[in-house]
Amino acid sequence: MIGFILRRLAELVPVVLIASIGIWGIIYAVPGGPVGALVGENATPEQIQAVTAELGLDRPILVQYVDWLRHALGGDLGTSLQSREPVAKLIGQCLPATVQLGIAAILIGLLLGLPVAVASAMAPGSWLDRALAGWSALALGVPTFWLGILFILFFAVQLQWLPSASSYVPFWQSPGAMIANVVLPASTLGIYVSGIFARFLRASLLGELRADYVRTARSKGLRERDIVTRHVLRNAMLPFITVVGLMMASFIGGALVTEAVFTYPGMGRLMIQAIATRDYPLLQGSILVVLVIYVVINLAVDVLYVWVDPRLDYGA
Amino acid sequence: MKRILNGLPRHKGACLGIAFLGVLALAACFAGLLVDPLAQDLASALEGPSAEHWFGTDELGRDILARVIYGARTSLLTAAGAVAIAAALGIPIGLIAGYFGGWRDTVLMRFVDVLLALPGILFAMALIAVLGRSQATALVAVGLTGIPGFARVTRAETLALRTREFVLAVEAFGGSSTYSIFRTVLPNAWSPILVQTVVLAAVAILLEAALAFLGVGIPPPTPSWGEMLRTGKTYLYDSPSYAVLPGLVLTLTILSLDAIGRALASILRESEGLHDAPLAEAGAP
Repeated sequence: MIGFILRRLAELVPVVLIASIGIWGIIYAVPGGPVGALVGENATPEQIQAVTAELGLDRPILVQYVDWLRHALGGDLGTSLQSREPVAKLIGQCLPATVQLGIAAILIGLLLGLPVAVASAMAPGSWLDRALAGWSALALGVPTFWLGILFILFFAVQLQWLPSASSYVPFWQSPGAMIANVVLPASTLGIYVSGIFARFLRASLLGELRADYVRTARSKGLRERDIVTRHVLRNAMLPFITVVGLMMASFIGGALVTEAVFTYPGMGRLMIQAIATRDYPLLQGSILVVLVIYVVINLAVDVLYVWVDPRLDYGA
Repeated sequence: MKRILNGLPRHKGACLGIAFLGVLALAACFAGLLVDPLAQDLASALEGPSAEHWFGTDELGRDILARVIYGARTSLLTAAGAVAIAAALGIPIGLIAGYFGGWRDTVLMRFVDVLLALPGILFAMALIAVLGRSQATALVAVGLTGIPGFARVTRAETLALRTREFVLAVEAFGGSSTYSIFRTVLPNAWSPILVQTVVLAAVAILLEAALAFLGVGIPPPTPSWGEMLRTGKTYLYDSPSYAVLPGLVLTLTILSLDAIGRALASILRESEGLHDAPLAEAGAP
């Protein structure tokens, strides 16, 4: 088991390293270079030289990259050009908000997706199955930013029950205020993932229902409901863990649009802000953090998967 | 092709989707004859739907329906261009990786993994931040995010075809690998690629709209659905229909493509045992 984890970790190193070169290289690909973006078009040669030296851009490229990577590994992601605050601190403020939103969205997605999957897998081809397939298609096809706008129109503008802009309230500070702020963005994302969950789990359940042990259970005279909830669901949930993990991972960096709709202060808004203000240290830092979390969650999911299913081979 | 035409009538959702996309494409083609998306009339700004302006007017008194029709042009062209870019790069990557295996497979698929490691929208935004905001950048950014989809589907299909007798026979007779790839493997791998094309078209439209919604897509005054939703959102209290109706057209377009994609997958699976290719794979939440 330990060997398996170590081997998977070793496989991740090249992916992260290649990506880090790409992320770091962003700064050089900009027309005019990072200095041009910073000092503007009317800068004097002296100004340009001063900023170049200040950012350490007059050193050899390889030295700069290794230096950046060494600092990043030590948790120092540089200083934001805009707010003059440490990038790591800004990320530290936004990351918990995104994680809280992500967890809430996954919970709502499971709450909506699981019953849909079970109900349609128990009667494949029936009118209920077709209706629920329509629901999944709708959940996936409706763009989150349009659904979010509809939610705001109905719950904030019409009924005035909930705020139209959501702020980050940690759950342990005030659960009530947290729910009021997070319920609309989390439902927007949750409905989307419920479509993915339902489609995936339904296919997984249908596959399991064809297994020999199900026929044995049926011939013993067990009730269909018990077969599904006690035996089939447990086995079908195994590959499903991967999907839930992948969704969580993609929310860390991918809830950009939803965060923008509700002006929610998470990682997505931080990155949009970094792009809009050409704040390259902030952009590099946040993309790197998102990437590392993404890759680590993927690894954790793989490990969990092998751990909960002893039939799987560590070598595979 | 015949298989698809025979199977299609059984999938009503897909037929509705084709009809909707057909009307949309026709309107987009002949948009110039129908409406003017830039005509301003400040006196009647932010009006709700009426007989004169079916979808109402925007903050400059421009007809929203006219802008939605011109937005269809932007969306459909971006989707077509992006899918072409993704296919032109992704299919060869998948063919080479799957056919030759070995170090080529390792190197190419690692590259695809790196592309996949970032959410598509983030990758596109970073690219736009670097290259500047323009119609061409949006097209390329959306296109590049589609490469992994094509590469993986093509590779999987190539791997399966690689060991089939008719491919081995070409090799045994001394056919070159180029001949083998383009004359025996590719012609037999088209069905999953076709499904992937439809799925990616939907993803491309969604991604282009999302980028415009975030304010980094195709720059104004080119009408774009995402941009309209972005502006409409600021007038939610004055004119709710402004954001709702363009979003409805966008949603119907995505749902149509999804229905067509699923119908195709189901028709082709019946005859060839194809895997499901849901819209979920590369969505932009």
